[in-house]
Amino acid sequence: MPEPSRSDDGGAAESVDEGTAESVDGRTTESGGELATDGGSVSGVDGRVSGLTTYLRERPRLRTLAIAGPPYGLLVVFFAIPLLAMLVVSFQADQIGGAWTLRNYTDFLTSDTYLTVVWRTFLISVQVTAIVAAVGYALAYSIVRFSRRTTLLLLLVILPFWTSYIIRMYAWINILQSDGVLDSVLNLVGLPALSLLYTDTAVLIGFTYVWLPLAVLPFYASLTNLDGDLIEASKDLGAGPIRTFLSVTLPMTVNGVVTGVVLVFIPTFGSFITPRLLGGTNNVMIGMVIENQFKSAFNWPFGAAIGMVISVVVVALLLLATRLGGGLFGTGGEES
Amino acid sequence: MSLLRVRGLTKEFGDLVAVDDVGFDIEDGEFVSILGPSGSGKSTVLRMVAGFEEPTDGEIALDDVEIVGSPPFERDVNMVFQDLALFPHLTVAENIGYGLKQSGVPADERRERTERMLEMVRLEGYGDRSPAELSGGEQQRVALARALVNEPALVLFDEPLSSLDRKLRQHMQSELQRIQIETDTTFLYVTHDQEVALAVSDRLVVLDDGEIQQVGTVEELYEAPASRFVADFIGDVNAVEGRVTAVDDAEIVVDTGDDEVAVPRTAAGNAAADVAVDDAVDVCVRPFQVRVESAGSAGASDSDDASNPADADGAFATTGVVRSRSYQGSDSLYGIETDRWGRLSAEVRSASFDVDDRVTVAWDAADVHVYRRDGSESPDTDGGT
Repeated sequence: MPEPSRSDDGGAAESVDEGTAESVDGRTTESGGELATDGGSVSGVDGRVSGLTTYLRERPRLRTLAIAGPPYGLLVVFFAIPLLAMLVVSFQADQIGGAWTLRNYTDFLTSDTYLTVVWRTFLISVQVTAIVAAVGYALAYSIVRFSRRTTLLLLLVILPFWTSYIIRMYAWINILQSDGVLDSVLNLVGLPALSLLYTDTAVLIGFTYVWLPLAVLPFYASLTNLDGDLIEASKDLGAGPIRTFLSVTLPMTVNGVVTGVVLVFIPTFGSFITPRLLGGTNNVMIGMVIENQFKSAFNWPFGAAIGMVISVVVVALLLLATRLGGGLFGTGGEES
Repeated sequence: MSLLRVRGLTKEFGDLVAVDDVGFDIEDGEFVSILGPSGSGKSTVLRMVAGFEEPTDGEIALDDVEIVGSPPFERDVNMVFQDLALFPHLTVAENIGYGLKQSGVPADERRERTERMLEMVRLEGYGDRSPAELSGGEQQRVALARALVNEPALVLFDEPLSSLDRKLRQHMQSELQRIQIETDTTFLYVTHDQEVALAVSDRLVVLDDGEIQQVGTVEELYEAPASRFVADFIGDVNAVEGRVTAVDDAEIVVDTGDDEVAVPRTAAGNAAADVAVDDAVDVCVRPFQVRVESAGSAGASDSDDASNPADADGAFATTGVVRSRSYQGSDSLYGIETDRWGRLSAEVRSASFDVDDRVTVAWDAADVHVYRRDGSESPDTDGGT
């Protein structure tokens, strides 16, 4: 049995190591000693964990750091630093390391062309969000209220995620193009062809298709948490189905709705693949402009500046929308 | 004309018959409870009256108007839910005013009536709070006010008090009675708790296995239970096995071991007992009607009982040993292992015994109820007359 007992010693030593350079605290040594006499390998692992637990329990700050540290570290490395780098670059002229300037921002904000693209992007994002929210809510509602096979249906909702985004977009090209699946079917039943590809409608269809699962899941979650008794109570008190929906179901699930809306609105605003593939060249969205600056025009600072402006705009819009949503559906809006 | 008339009400869930041919009436201004163990179908009956379930068969008429098929929001009935179902996103006042708002009552009147209701349930000044800030008892009052403010013909209760502790529950019971009288509203209360049902109701509907066991006033059910189930469910009961040896219009003679005892048929009990000679029966007696005396004074007890005509055919009496005692305030409940009938319980007020004391146990034949044991129907009924 020499090995387990050695691992015990190692455990005790490790738990000290993992702390700080501070002196070994009495209790830790004690438990380490006990374990060494115990000898068993299982109690060795247990002892190591319990030693560490005890050690951390007595140091609440260190414990907080141990729990919160890794996620915050990830956020710093993968979110804060890149964002900061973008911010820095956006104030440089022509290329990374160029002279400091505000020109990237003034150029963008004074250009009618770019602002028109932003406005278009905003309109499309709002439309997509509205369509996805309406369809997604109806879908989630029907899954929760009228179905017993909720797991299967949810699986079907998520199923498209198993295929690559790009491949699914090409599938839609196939369906929507002028002699594609949709037009062929329409021809068969004697209706005129639509040739939807490379139109705004195609972009809306593509986005709706892609984001629907993202919205359905939070909608579903908030709807399953909704207490069915509240619906019955509302009906019992004389409210018909529509009024019950508006005054109980919707306000009670507003958090899920906001989550879904945010999940759809943000990626739509910055998206460039869907509009590029389905919208063609006449339907430019701001994400495509940014992508272009980085990949074709090689004007990274200008792309970064647009990115910063868009981020600020989106965050502002979301704050506004959340505030508005809370006001409309929260307790404040009911009494009128 | 009764306010609520239920006839032949049946509800099947697949193969399960949850409610089987249930019929009862509720008069205007009554407080009626549907009492039954869990799974007896009582909540289903309530939900059918409220409109949340469609009956498989049967009629429900409110104020002589058939309401089966009409949606809950069109019925002049309001419900207090088991978990209250207060709207968490609305204030107390908005919760109470919800029904009025739906029926288009103007804001001024709504405020006034809500205020009056808050007073009625003694929650003045709580209107602006959120339901989550209130205690369990206060939430009960809000739920009650929310149902009553609409002045429905009938208020339904789905065991709303079951989540409260005993003290608060008793307090809410008396509040319910006060409010019912003050508002002159008809209450239909569903519960599995016989204590609550006995305390608050004018009449009880006892339900088991989807079928009505008995309908009657609290006194009728307690004093003349129609079956052993009812006797057992409403108050405790001792059951002694026996066999019928003779039956006529005046009495039922039962053999419970060595002796035959003649049980008189009286208005209070056994008048309608459907038994025949040779039937296996349960002879039931309430613990408080059981007399217990120390075995040493058995002789005195016998002479007391000499005035009892039942003694002529032998009394219900045996000896036994006290096995357990639980103090209940004004009296004590004893568990006694008897020599003839096994374990019995007796509620004794005056005397006091210790565990292992030898005692005599006796009760009057006039106090017992005789029920035919389930599944023991005797084919030869000619001995009955």
